[in-house]
Amino acid sequence: MTDRLEGWEKVTGAARYAYEYPLENVAYLAAVQATVARGEILAVDAEAALGMPGVLAVLSGGNAPRLAPVDDGELAVLQSRRVAYRGQFVAAVIAETPETAAEAARHVRVEYAPEAADVLLRADHEGLYAPEKVNGGFPADTESGDPDAAFAASAVRVDATYTTPAEHNNPMEPHTTVALWEDDGTLVLYDSNQGPSAVQSTLAEVFGLEPAQVRVISEHVGGGFGSKGTPRPNVVLAAMAARVTGRPVKFAVPRRQMWATTGYRTPTIQRVRLGAGLDGRLDAVIHEVVAQTSAVREFAEQAAVPARMMYRAANRRTRHRIVRLDVPSPSWMRAPGETPGMFALESAMDELAVLTGVDPVELRVRNDAPEDPESGLPFSSRNLVACLREGAARFGWDARDPRPGVRREGRTLLGTGVAAATYPASTRPGEAVARAEPDGTFTVRVAAADIGTGARTALAVIAADALKTDLGKVRMEIGDSRLPRAVVAGGSAGTSSWGTAVVRACEALLVRLNGEIPPEGVEARASTADEVRSRQKYARHAFGAHFAEVAVDLDTGEVRVPRMLGVFAAGRIINPKAARSQFVGGMTMGIGMALLEESIMDEAFGDHVNRDLAQYHVPTCADIRKIDAVWVPEADPHLNPMGAKGIGEIGIVGAAAAIANAVHHATGARFRDLPITPARVLAEL
Amino acid sequence: MIPASFDYVRPESVDEALEALTDAGEDAKIIAGGQSLMPLLRMRLAMPDTLIDLDRLDSLRDVRDDGDAIVIGALATHHRVLRDPLVRAHAPLLVRATAKVADPAVRHRGTFGGALAHADPASDLPAVAVALDAELLARSARGERRIPAADFFVDWMTSALEPDELLTGIRVPKPGEGWGVHYEKFHRTAQAWAIVGVACAVRRDDGRVGDARVALTNMGPVPVRCRAVEEALAGGAAIRDAAELAAEGTEPPSDLDGSAEYRTHLAAVLTARALAAAAAV
Ligand SMILES: Cc1cc2nc3c(=O)[nH]c(=O)nc-3n(C[C@H](O)[C@H](O)[C@H](O)COP(=O)(O)OP(=O)(O)OC[C@H]3O[C@@H](n4cnc5c(N)ncnc54)[C@H](O)[C@@H]3O)c2cc1C
Repeated sequence: MTDRLEGWEKVTGAARYAYEYPLENVAYLAAVQATVARGEILAVDAEAALGMPGVLAVLSGGNAPRLAPVDDGELAVLQSRRVAYRGQFVAAVIAETPETAAEAARHVRVEYAPEAADVLLRADHEGLYAPEKVNGGFPADTESGDPDAAFAASAVRVDATYTTPAEHNNPMEPHTTVALWEDDGTLVLYDSNQGPSAVQSTLAEVFGLEPAQVRVISEHVGGGFGSKGTPRPNVVLAAMAARVTGRPVKFAVPRRQMWATTGYRTPTIQRVRLGAGLDGRLDAVIHEVVAQTSAVREFAEQAAVPARMMYRAANRRTRHRIVRLDVPSPSWMRAPGETPGMFALESAMDELAVLTGVDPVELRVRNDAPEDPESGLPFSSRNLVACLREGAARFGWDARDPRPGVRREGRTLLGTGVAAATYPASTRPGEAVARAEPDGTFTVRVAAADIGTGARTALAVIAADALKTDLGKVRMEIGDSRLPRAVVAGGSAGTSSWGTAVVRACEALLVRLNGEIPPEGVEARASTADEVRSRQKYARHAFGAHFAEVAVDLDTGEVRVPRMLGVFAAGRIINPKAARSQFVGGMTMGIGMALLEESIMDEAFGDHVNRDLAQYHVPTCADIRKIDAVWVPEADPHLNPMGAKGIGEIGIVGAAAAIANAVHHATGARFRDLPITPARVLAEL
Repeated sequence: MIPASFDYVRPESVDEALEALTDAGEDAKIIAGGQSLMPLLRMRLAMPDTLIDLDRLDSLRDVRDDGDAIVIGALATHHRVLRDPLVRAHAPLLVRATAKVADPAVRHRGTFGGALAHADPASDLPAVAVALDAELLARSARGERRIPAADFFVDWMTSALEPDELLTGIRVPKPGEGWGVHYEKFHRTAQAWAIVGVACAVRRDDGRVGDARVALTNMGPVPVRCRAVEEALAGGAAIRDAAELAAEGTEPPSDLDGSAEYRTHLAAVLTARALAAAAAV
């Protein structure tokens, strides 16, 4: 139960976020967004803007510095006349004040030759194709046995299509960059991101620099949820603007511009077929996913990947198809793949439970996989069953009457639902340095990112453990690309990867210490590349189970969640206090996904219409009632020296399915399309 | 999200404010708590040349007894309204509804007058003013006038105030004994705006609802007084039957939060709930 080390600085406002670095002579950027969803830029008239006092420059395709091409076409900012989606940055104003920049940006006139845009995802779109790989590096398609024949021959069959809408990450701190070029040609970026090393290498590539010529500082980051895991156009734009004006340039992406430029979760259309015996034992699992990507960047949401390892079945097919639409680029959002995928799979499992009459907890227990069904690899640990049993006991599941639509209190229908959760437990290579200082304290350095998760604190706890010293003696330095290279805070692999390097550096340091510490201190560096690569092969995953109770208003269709419990098996929990927040935060986001979140695409304009938090709803504290997360003890020796699995994402996985399943239990109506809005529910009551 | 530039004046008295309003002409905007205006400025949906800040006009913050009515200063914050003993004694419906406005931070800045002058049909308080037959006190260099709430809300985000007029206070008649009140708000999340809201006050007569005042939030461009419901109740109809008439004569919008049909349905459901809750007091 360790408090956040930088908590005091944060609540007193002393912690510095990217925008807050005080710099001399700073200029401000405001971006101009495309007003057509597809077409060609014919002309950019900057005259009026340039004539405004205080305007330093207007950047557009005509005068922007040329950049080196990189894989992510989103970063080719102002490099082409093509407009790939509405809201794409097409020009930028740099001015003495943010007010002037914003006003001048309104006076930049861009003339387009618009073309018919294609912005709606459809399951029968002729442009659907199989990507070479889906996100995470997995194959797009897998197949084992004869799934079609097995499905056709199954005694009980579920064949259902589920959809999830576009959802936007919305970290509290917007994507922000302060860029400046030093006299020696070094690019310095105070930037809000999920990994300074990644921003450093990508920006070096974009600007044709050596990585050492780019310095990225991101000491405090106000959330990311995946959207800051890769550099966004804002970083490139700010760096270009700083180069052109010769001044430090600040750019915080306004919330309404984030909708198009900083990523979101693709909508999905998922067909799931489950074939089982009368006892609910699965014989066939078929999960086919349709999702979208943009014209400039391929992102393939791996929504069918969890179906590859979740349950035992002799016959299986998973398939991903994506289509390039004239839309903003989708990207990572908390547990990409697992989040939409497990909504579909775990809803389908509930449908199977209803058809077979097998209790939904029991059904999952029955289908638990002894080893990874596709690879045949042993699991390093798999405690799904323990999570289900523990949750069932705590939630009072045993007394549950399985009949749907029969628990009525006044004008309210009550129901409960369960769903499983899973997320890969990865550890990636990285480096760290540990120093013993002459005053008896230690400094530990790694270019990790604390995006509000408590990573800094967890790493300090890990280091103090490894050094066999008090937490108070450890100084953690993170959030700077000059520190030892580290992976991004993503894929729930941050703490496990950085922590491994920290432990190894601390161990190496302890070996070097004997007696007095010289005035210059003693330092040890570790790289975990070999260790991570030479690990034995295991299927490594965290598991969990969500239990939700819902109350459905018969008159309004409103769904409320009076009670929710998550039970997780995620290896050793390093800091219970922060871990609980991660789980509960994920579950809360799952409630938002189930009931509220939806970015609505306007087909005529090619734009999401509800681009702010007054219209894109997320649950507030007052909407969340009794919610709790606990974990089962899990000692897994095959992970990393801490025995830890990631915890940042699994909390959202399956949460929406648990709620949708509870809504079915309450009402007898199955909701396969998210979010479950009052009007949708009412129509089924 | 940065406002366009504007001139800024902060009058020290009501007269100074009226003078500033007259001088500045059509392109001036009054700012009270700023909770509605600031977002509009930041999104550049409003771009006034001059901003007239009422912050120093402490005389407009008070609530006073005016015999058969109370007069709430236009600058009384929502927070103040919630705690004021006169308001609590004589306008409990306003207290109920105000408690449902936004969150504590907004309620500490936002003012009752601002919420009415803004004339947003999704705002909770205009319906309350209409239900309570409040009168809005408007002053300009030309003089003072009282505008009945029913005439004050002209159209979507448009009030009857002239550009040179300042809303100084809201006169709420004392209802007398025996009234029960309720504000029923339906929204997606705890802090979101009403998809539909129902403000009502009822007086029980022989164990039956006789007198009733009912008004709806967000069922059209302006708050709607539900005369049909009121008359049905006066004529002896049961709550459930009377509530069925709630949407009569309304023009509910269709938006991302609900279609016109869904709102029409909600109006009846919520009116029945509001009436039942109010009658139970
Ligand atoms: C996050 C958030 C959530 C909210 N949720 C709700 C909600 O759930 N329900 C709800 O009802 N409201 C809600 N509001 C709105 C809030 O109640 C109003 O913004 C506020 O009460 C308006 O008062 P103000 O003093 O802030 O007005 P301002 O924003 O200062 O002004 C609003 C308008 O009224 C005019 N004006 C103000 N005072 C006067 C005056 N004395 N004379 C003439 N014109 C005047 C201004 O010129 C301007 O046009 C919310 C606001 C925010 C920011």
